[in-house]
Amino acid sequence: MNSRNFTDMQGRQRMNGNCLDIGTIQAFLDGELTPDVSMSVTNHIAGCDNCSFMLGEAEEESAFVFPVLEREMNSLVPTQRLWTRINDSIAIEKENAPFWRKFLDAVASQLRNPSLAVAASVLIIFGLIAGIYSVETKTSETGRKVAVVPTKDNQPISVQAPVRNLVTTVPLDAAPKPRPLSNNSKFAVIQADYRKPVRNIQPTDGTAAASTDGYLPGEESYVKTIVNLNQTIAGKKDTAMRPSQRVSYERDLAVVNDSIKRMRDEVRKDPKNESAKQVLYSSYQNKIDLLNSVAQKEELVASLK
Amino acid sequence: MKRQAKKIKALLIATALAAALSGLSRAQDPTPDPNTPQSIPESVTKPVRPKINNPHTKVNAPRTDREVPIPPSFPAELSRMGGTFERSIAVDPKVTVSLCVTQGDVKVNGWSRNEVRVFVKDGSKVGFDVVQSNRQGNKPVWIKVVGSDPNRPAGSKECLWGGAVELDVPEQASVDLEGTETRSVVDSIRKIKIKNAGGNISVRNVTEGVSATTYEGNVDVENSDGTMTLESSTGNIVVFESGPSQVGDTFRAKTNGGTISLQHIEHRQLDVSSISGSILMNSELLTASIYNISTSNGSIIFGVPNIPPCFFSATYGFGRFDSEVPIKIITENNTPGPIKTVRGTFENALKTDCKLTLTTSSGTIRIRKRVNP
Repeated sequence: MNSRNFTDMQGRQRMNGNCLDIGTIQAFLDGELTPDVSMSVTNHIAGCDNCSFMLGEAEEESAFVFPVLEREMNSLVPTQRLWTRINDSIAIEKENAPFWRKFLDAVASQLRNPSLAVAASVLIIFGLIAGIYSVETKTSETGRKVAVVPTKDNQPISVQAPVRNLVTTVPLDAAPKPRPLSNNSKFAVIQADYRKPVRNIQPTDGTAAASTDGYLPGEESYVKTIVNLNQTIAGKKDTAMRPSQRVSYERDLAVVNDSIKRMRDEVRKDPKNESAKQVLYSSYQNKIDLLNSVAQKEELVASLK
Repeated sequence: MKRQAKKIKALLIATALAAALSGLSRAQDPTPDPNTPQSIPESVTKPVRPKINNPHTKVNAPRTDREVPIPPSFPAELSRMGGTFERSIAVDPKVTVSLCVTQGDVKVNGWSRNEVRVFVKDGSKVGFDVVQSNRQGNKPVWIKVVGSDPNRPAGSKECLWGGAVELDVPEQASVDLEGTETRSVVDSIRKIKIKNAGGNISVRNVTEGVSATTYEGNVDVENSDGTMTLESSTGNIVVFESGPSQVGDTFRAKTNGGTISLQHIEHRQLDVSSISGSILMNSELLTASIYNISTSNGSIIFGVPNIPPCFFSATYGFGRFDSEVPIKIITENNTPGPIKTVRGTFENALKTDCKLTLTTSSGTIRIRKRVNP
């Protein structure tokens, strides 16, 4: 049954012109085909005249050539067995390799994927930038806080031109006392703070409460104007006003200051109280007018002398 | 012999009296400039209110009373140092006169002559500086009245001083007066700008604008039109019968420690404020007007004869708001806190095209119904 089927198959192969090539026949002769392929080749040759003829010729040639070149052929042409041995030895070598080598190999194999490679490169670049930025920040902070001055002979600090203004505006006497950080080096590192102390300008009266908190929109200009006017008329009140007028002035000033304070408190409680804001601004304007009247009177009297 | 001596004495006295009288009449009736038109200047184009009788007003009347009482504030030694002087100059009818007075009572009167006349009693000498003449070059349009004091320090202003300083100017004249310690009365001129360091200011019958500022004293304006700017530091401001001379004239009154009282104001834009004083206003509120009235520590009392055609906004703190005229409240601030705002209109008002804003931080706002006088 089987032979019959095989014969039919061979016939179909013959009819189809599906004959074996010389390479396959040669491999068959050399024993390089797998057992299944070898079996099928054997069956085909059994039913195919052309292939059996070709096989015969190949056997004759091999019989003639192989004894002559047997030594060279065995040494120069790698065979399937040789490749198998090589692969086996590689596998053994891989198994004996150290852990870090295996890890590197695994990483390298993963990096062969392009998307993973791109992601890894982005991560590396980002890390580098972050590292550089953090190093620079640290350096600049250190530069601001630390100054190097010679400790010997209490020499004055030599300052370059760009920072001359800083030195002239803030005398060293006024600066905090330097605290030595190291005594071993040639130059002592001290903790220095030469920044000008921030002064809060406090209005002398009614606006003190406003200046300590945040200003409302437009309020700051009122406060600054009042401070300037106060400075302008300071010391002129006694000469510009008679005692009776001075009494009225002080009373009006107290009224305005009280109004400002109350409205300021009201706005602080309810920042959306537009009525309180309106009265507050009106009170500021009244105070400016009041202070202005003293300055203008002084100016008028001076102009008529 | 005795009879002859008596006769001689009587003759001498009569001669002296005659000389004095002739001098007075000459001073009162200065030699007319041939180019000076003596006719009464053109009448004011805008019909004005009838003038209020003023004892200081002189219309072509010879001066009869020369005795001006020296104010107590005027130092006696100064009065002994000064003299009595009088000068006049023919000017353009619309002349501008500038002067400064350091001390004394100042009276500025408008008259129907086209000349400026200055009289100083017990004070400095007086003169004129012509700053600018008209195009024909024959009439000054801007003069300065100066006190010609030879002992005056260089660079100082040539201010007048005296027990009394009287200035007669054309009715169409504009006067710019600065004073240190002066009490000023202005009557029947076109425009006045006056600024005193101390002393009351009284203005009446001014037709085209009043600017009056005193740092210690009251301001009193009566029957005057035009732009009004009235300021006082410690005094009261009283205005009676005032209105615009042209469209757009504004009214502004401000005092720090005084009361403001306004009667019959016809301006359509008012800005009235006080710090520690109350504000009283009795006037009809006009359509298409804006009224801003505010005080810090006082009350606002508003008397209206009719239903005001206004939208009103009353902001008050630590006080109350009431109205005798029925109101229709549109919005009312009910938030907790002392500051309240009421906005609305007056019931049965035919129009609501004027705006009335009343603000006091610690006073009462009251709108009263006033019966028309």
